[in-house]
Amino acid sequence: MTTKIKRQFKLSRLISKTIFYLLITTLAVTIILPAFFLVTLSFLSTREAYSYPLPLLPSLKAEYSLTYGERGYLLSVYDNFDQEYQTVLDTSELDKISVYMKSQISTPYSISKLEDRIAELENGPEDIVYFRARKNLWLNYDTFFKITRDAVPALLRSFQIAGLTILVSLSIGGMAGYAFARYIFPGRDALKFSVLFVRMFPGIAIALPMVIILANMGFYDKPVGLVLVYSVGSIALTIWITASIFMGIPESLEEAAQVFGATKFQTFLRITFPLALPGLAAAAMYAFLGAWNETVSAIILTQFNPTFPVVVYQALLGAVGNVNLAAAGGLVMAVPSLIFTFFIRRYIQQMWGGVTI
Amino acid sequence: MATLKMQNVTKQFGRNVIAVKDFNLEVKEKEFLVLLGPSGCGKTTAMRMVAGLEEVTIGHIYIGDREVTELPPRKRNVSMIFQNYAVWPHMTVYDNIAFALKLKNLPKDEIDKIVKESARLAKIDMLLERFPSQLSGGQQQRVAVSRAIAVDPDIFLMDEPLSNLDAKLRVSMRTELKAIHDKAGSTTVFVTHDQSEAMSMADRIVIMKDGEVIQVGTPNDVYHRSRSIFVADFIGTPPTNFLNVEIKKESDGVHLVNPHLNLLLEPGIAKHFNKYNKNHLILGIRPENILLVDSEKSALSASCLVVEPQGSHQIVAIQLDDNIIKAVASAQPTVKTGSDVHLNFKQETLRFFDPDTTLAIND
Repeated sequence: MTTKIKRQFKLSRLISKTIFYLLITTLAVTIILPAFFLVTLSFLSTREAYSYPLPLLPSLKAEYSLTYGERGYLLSVYDNFDQEYQTVLDTSELDKISVYMKSQISTPYSISKLEDRIAELENGPEDIVYFRARKNLWLNYDTFFKITRDAVPALLRSFQIAGLTILVSLSIGGMAGYAFARYIFPGRDALKFSVLFVRMFPGIAIALPMVIILANMGFYDKPVGLVLVYSVGSIALTIWITASIFMGIPESLEEAAQVFGATKFQTFLRITFPLALPGLAAAAMYAFLGAWNETVSAIILTQFNPTFPVVVYQALLGAVGNVNLAAAGGLVMAVPSLIFTFFIRRYIQQMWGGVTI
Repeated sequence: MATLKMQNVTKQFGRNVIAVKDFNLEVKEKEFLVLLGPSGCGKTTAMRMVAGLEEVTIGHIYIGDREVTELPPRKRNVSMIFQNYAVWPHMTVYDNIAFALKLKNLPKDEIDKIVKESARLAKIDMLLERFPSQLSGGQQQRVAVSRAIAVDPDIFLMDEPLSNLDAKLRVSMRTELKAIHDKAGSTTVFVTHDQSEAMSMADRIVIMKDGEVIQVGTPNDVYHRSRSIFVADFIGTPPTNFLNVEIKKESDGVHLVNPHLNLLLEPGIAKHFNKYNKNHLILGIRPENILLVDSEKSALSASCLVVEPQGSHQIVAIQLDDNIIKAVASAQPTVKTGSDVHLNFKQETLRFFDPDTTLAIND
């Protein structure tokens, strides 16, 4: 009897554990796989990026063979998947070969080196020479910044916009959050709810009026215009985050400070602000991520001064468009927000002696 | 140290809520004064006005000779212990105590001296480097105490400082707070709703109800000479017993009569009614002043409803209609539930209350 129960218990535990791990794995895969894909893609050469199936990892070198062709020299590349050399080029112009090796295979190879290989071919016993070239893994990143329209200024502009958005939304939203948490006034709850209205409209829906308004204000195609647009949304979020944090700080802590000799401003600086830091950090993170990643409004509201996400988006389009270049740009874009999030996480998790207020 | 004077102080919240009504009080130097009352009686509001955390609607507050009515809290030189301790969780114990001293720009070595001295007084000198969250509730309370001592205030304010502690700790902290008060020689205003706490700590007790002062007096005053039914009921465990009685003047003297009771008053007691012209009153008698007697001396007889043994004594409860009377009797002989008990009263301790005004007739 008991052993039967035990066995049933074991079985049901086994099943529930299996389901649990299946779910966890699925979740992990759905999160990790796209990130992995992006990273891999950003290191692939153009030829690899458009091959099928896509390699799981970027190769570190390429193996070539050079022989005589109809029009000059015949260049072949070893394909790891098909396990054979595939002819890619038949030409007599060495600079064409060199450009191809760099742009398509990501293996920069100088013309003088090519001449050496051709000398080997002509002097060698066989009609073919094999050689290797080391791949430049960072070539995509290099190319991305070279061929996209002002990527570096756009990156700086994005930093500027994200920073200013944090500043505006934290100062205004933080103060409003404090007011919502500490003071009772008529219409408080309605007002607190109404600040969320601005987040209920999709950006694209109010894009046109936004362009007109910003143009009238003279802020169209200017970073400050985007700062305003982003701040509206993140102020709402900041108010809600900080209000709940301030509500969690007992008023008596502030009162005690005042009784023990602090002015209202000193009280805020020494008591309220440090205690609210985790919430302010979280709000700052949301403001940063919102402003840093936003693309749709930025496409509409800028023309000659795009933000970095717009540049990445443009890398996918047109003659210069290459997925591996866009992936490199995307990764460049992801890194600051990753660093920022990891940095700010310390403050969000900050606790004093192990327990929060 | 200084005196505290509150003159006609009224506090109104919004349009109709009057938290404190025409409050007058003088606290003497080095006095331990307790504001006592049920929750919502305005005792905390009164104290917060002294601290400057609430604005005064009408009236004046003086600390020593200074009028502080309009001053911000930091300029009043008071210190306060809060109900939830209000020690700052992001500062070490040392920084908590040193906070006020640093704001005064005292030199570092002097701050260090004062912090260590006041920590020693509150017995937390071993914990100075800890954060409050690493301390127990009682230790946090000590931090609050030592922080309050450190500033050497004119007035010490304590807002139910013991109510968050467990029962045993509460009793031992009482003694310590009182000892610290005596050592520091500070003028103290202590707010509580716990009457036994008030009785055991106070030099004088101010009993409040609905924003008004009902009685001010020493613990003995308010216990033995309660000015109203409210006070007599609020102070003491078990509280005063009340009996509705009729006054009957007969040939042998004044009788207090109700369906269960016929009490012939001694001549000295009856004179209290000389000026009283109604024929009903409410009789108040403390449980320990009710005597278990033989049947022939009985003023009141009934069957025992419940006996609560307390070790040193027993509490005998009897039911009269829907009124339960409790008497404190010596532990021996034990009374059995359901047995008949005969009661009489120590007449000199009787309190008589006017049923209409609820105020005491004798005083």
